[in-house]
Amino acid sequence: MADPNNGRPVRKRGLARLWDIIWSPTSVMSVGFLLIAGFIGGVLFWGGFNWSLELTNTEEFCVSCHTMETNLGEYRETVHYNNHSGVRAICSDCHVPHEWQYKMKAKIMAVKDVYHEIAGTISTPEKYEERRLEMAAAVWKKMKASDSRECRNCHAFEYMDFTIQETRAADNHQRAIDTNMTCIDCHQGIAHDLAPGYMEEYKHVVDTLAGTAPARDGTIDVAQIKTYLGLSAD
Amino acid sequence: MLSVLDLVGTIGGAVLGLPGLVGVALGMMTRKPLVALVLGAAVGFLAPVLLGGSHSTDVPITTLEMAISVVIGVLAAQVGCVIRRRGATV
Repeated sequence: MADPNNGRPVRKRGLARLWDIIWSPTSVMSVGFLLIAGFIGGVLFWGGFNWSLELTNTEEFCVSCHTMETNLGEYRETVHYNNHSGVRAICSDCHVPHEWQYKMKAKIMAVKDVYHEIAGTISTPEKYEERRLEMAAAVWKKMKASDSRECRNCHAFEYMDFTIQETRAADNHQRAIDTNMTCIDCHQGIAHDLAPGYMEEYKHVVDTLAGTAPARDGTIDVAQIKTYLGLSAD
Repeated sequence: MLSVLDLVGTIGGAVLGLPGLVGVALGMMTRKPLVALVLGAAVGFLAPVLLGGSHSTDVPITTLEMAISVVIGVLAAQVGCVIRRRGATV
């Protein structure tokens, strides 16, 4: 059978050609050149990646979505936005961990926010209020599970001077240390408004993490009803 | 138990963290898949132990987090091993 290429090697095109180039041994560059070029390329790539990641940590980026307007308005009324010292905590300080692997996890999970912005899940004040408790509970759950890690990036019991705190605050902080409580146990509404029924919801979050939460799937808890009515659970 | 979103985030964090990056690098150091597996598992195990905590809290690493890290480390090392076999003559 006649060779359509007349014995010449088949010249691939597009991605197939690129694939071949990638896996072909180099014969025109030294190992040193490739190492130095790879190192510089790696630094540039990683620097650019990290720079882009930090851009997504800015307050301007966080509130650039329409759905974040309500959060922003509430946050601007708090001590974390405006205070006597001028030291502030912006969105990412409370919602994005500092540790690399947890930061990456938070960034990946935050993709859902983009989806909900596009889907308009909380695009009106009514929709927002409907979902407020659910959204708050999701954040509380993360904070309770991580021992309020993001709060503790700035606040540490070890360095609190109880003598210059208000008596009530000093008492409660001492109690928190003694009973192994975490920041979010008391400060649920520190940066955003609280929804009605938040205490019950927070208790449910704590019980869920402890594995003792009652079912919420609409099933009737007969034992609980009997207990309420003063009847034997049997 | 992690939600699906949590799971995807944990996997992504491991891929872009030490288990994924160092896993590929270690895998590229050998042509033997078994050696790559051991190296990948080692970095997958060590990464959460060394970096999994936080400087301010004492939250233990969960078994699932550790398992995901080891699996990602092993897979990354296998990818590295394939790159070595495909792209090097030594």
